[in-house]
Amino acid sequence: MSIQAAQLPAKAALDGRGRAVAVGLRRVLGPDYRMGMLFVAPILLLVLALVAYPFGYAVYLSMTRKYVGLPPVWVGFDNYVKLTWDGFFQRAVVNSFIFTFGSVGVKLVLGMAMALVLTSQIRWRGFWTGVLLIPWVAPTVVSALNFLWIFDYSLGVLNYLLVRVFRLLPQGIGWLSEPGTAMASVIGVNIWRGFPFFGISFLAGMKAIPGELYEAAAVDGATALQRFRHVTVPGIKNILIIVVLLSTIWTFNDFQIVYILTKGGPGGATQVLPVFTYEIAFGAQRLGEAIAVALYMLPALAAVIIVLARYMRRGRRS
Amino acid sequence: MSKSAIARLQGAVSYAFLLGLLLVVIFPFYWMTVTSLKSEDQMRSLVSMFWPSPFVVDNYRHLLQKTDFVAWFGNSVFVAVSSTVLATAIGTIGAYSLARLRFLGRGFMASATLITYLVPPSILFIPLYAQIRNLGLADSLTGLIAAYPSFTVPFVTWLLMGYFESIPVELEESAMIDGATRFGAFWRVVLPLSAPGVLAAGLYAFTQSWNEFLYALVFITDVKLRTLPVGLSSFITGDVYGWGFLMAGAVLTTLPVIAAYIYLQKYMVEGLTAGGVKG
Repeated sequence: MSIQAAQLPAKAALDGRGRAVAVGLRRVLGPDYRMGMLFVAPILLLVLALVAYPFGYAVYLSMTRKYVGLPPVWVGFDNYVKLTWDGFFQRAVVNSFIFTFGSVGVKLVLGMAMALVLTSQIRWRGFWTGVLLIPWVAPTVVSALNFLWIFDYSLGVLNYLLVRVFRLLPQGIGWLSEPGTAMASVIGVNIWRGFPFFGISFLAGMKAIPGELYEAAAVDGATALQRFRHVTVPGIKNILIIVVLLSTIWTFNDFQIVYILTKGGPGGATQVLPVFTYEIAFGAQRLGEAIAVALYMLPALAAVIIVLARYMRRGRRS
Repeated sequence: MSKSAIARLQGAVSYAFLLGLLLVVIFPFYWMTVTSLKSEDQMRSLVSMFWPSPFVVDNYRHLLQKTDFVAWFGNSVFVAVSSTVLATAIGTIGAYSLARLRFLGRGFMASATLITYLVPPSILFIPLYAQIRNLGLADSLTGLIAAYPSFTVPFVTWLLMGYFESIPVELEESAMIDGATRFGAFWRVVLPLSAPGVLAAGLYAFTQSWNEFLYALVFITDVKLRTLPVGLSSFITGDVYGWGFLMAGAVLTTLPVIAAYIYLQKYMVEGLTAGGVKG
C-alpha cells in the first residue's frame, strides 16, 4: 500500500524493540493515531470543559436548593416535583409548545413555497435567494429591536399602516402589550427570521433531484401536485426531517426574540421556558430551580437530538 | 385555459409571491435606516412617515459621543475575531482528523461533536457561567472568547468534515508517495483546496459570535464590557426609548455582517446548506 511505503524510511530508523512497540500501538490505536488524536485533542478538551462538565454540574445543581452565593443543599427530585405542579411553569411549557409548533409549521410552509418558486423558471434567481436569506444572517437582537419599534403602539409603523394608510382598523393595536396578539407577534418575528433556512435547505435538496425523474413523471401524465408528492417530497425527505428537527430544537430554545420583545409578558402570555429559566436564575436568584426548568424537557430534547444526529450522519454518508 | 396561459399565470403568481416576501424581508431594515436618519420631532409627529425630512445625523452623533457604543463595538470586534480565529483553527484540524485519519475513538468523537452542536445554549448558560466564574473569567471579554467556541467549534467541525470528505483521498496519497508527510499532505494539499470551505465556516463562526446574546447578557455585568447586542438592548429602559439612536446603533451593528454576506454570499449559502444538511 502506498501509505505504508511512504512511511518505511521512518520505520527503519527505529531500533527493533521500538519498532515492535510502535507497530503494537498502531494496531491498537489505529494507523494514524498520533496526528489523529493530537488534532482532535482541542475539541475533546473543549467539549469536556465547556459542555460535558457544565452539563453534569447542571444535573447535580438541579437536584439542590441553590441560591447565588450560598452552598447548594441536596433536595433530590424536589425541584422537578414542585415544578410539575407550578402554574407558572405549566403555562411556560404550554407557551413553549405553541411558540415552537406555530413557528415551525409556518416556516415549513413558507420555506417550501420559497424553494418551489426558486426552482421553477424564474429570473434573477441568485438575487432573490441572496436577499431572502438576509434575515437569517442579520443579528437576531437587531431584528427583534426593529420589530419592537415596528410594533410600537403609538409611534410604530405597523399601526400607522393599518390605521392611517390602509384604514383597516379604527385604532391601533398594542401588538405586544395585549395578551391576544402578543404570542402571534413573537411567533411572527421568529418565522420572519427562520423561514429562509428552510427555503435554502429545501432548495439545495430539490436541486439534487435528477431532472429525468420529473420528465418521466410528466411523460406518465402526472399532474404538478402528483409530481410534488411523489418526486419532490421523497427526494428531499431526509433534508425535510433534518431541517424540521433542527428548527424545532432552535425554536424551542429561542431566548432573544421573546426576551427583547415581551420578556414573557403581558402577564405571562408569552412566557417560554428559556426566558422563564433566565428570570428564575437571575431575577429570583434561585439557581437550582432555574436549572430544573431548563432540564425538565431534557428527555424529550435528548430523544430529538439522537434521532436528528442519526439522520444528519446518514445524510453525510450517502 | 391554454398551456401558455397557465404558464404565464404561474409565472405571475411566482413573481408576486417573491416580491411580497422580499418586501416583508427588507422592510424592517429599510425602516431601521429611515428611523436612524429622522429627527426626534419628526418621529413624534408622524409626518413624512417613510422618508426622513429633514435628513439628520444627530442620532449617530448622539450614539457615538454620548453612549458607550464605540466601546461596545470594539468589544464585539475583539470577541468575535478572537473566538472565530480560535474556533476555526481548532475546528479545521479537528474536522480533518475526524474525516480522514484512522484512530481509536474517532467515531465517538464525531458523535460527541455533532451532539454538542445540537445542545442548545439555553440549557448550558447557567452552569457554563459557573464554570467561567470558577476559571476567574466572569465579567471579562476573555470569558466570552473562551465560551463562544462551545457552539462555534462543533459547527465549524461538522461543516468542514463534510468538506474534507468530498476531497478525493488519492490527492493526499499521491502527495505522500512523493515524500510528503501526513501533515504535509494536509497542510499543502488538502487545506488550500478547502480554502472556500474554511472561509465559509469562519464567516459563520464570526456571525454567530457577533450576534450572540445570552452568554454576553449573563457573563458581563460591567457596562463598558458589553458587546453590541447586549449594549443595544440596554437602550430600552422603562418607557424612555431613544428610538433614533437605538436604530442608528442597529444599523451600525448590522452593517459588518451584511457587508461580509454580500461580498461572500456564494460561500455562505453553500456553507449554510452543508452545515445542516447536504444535498
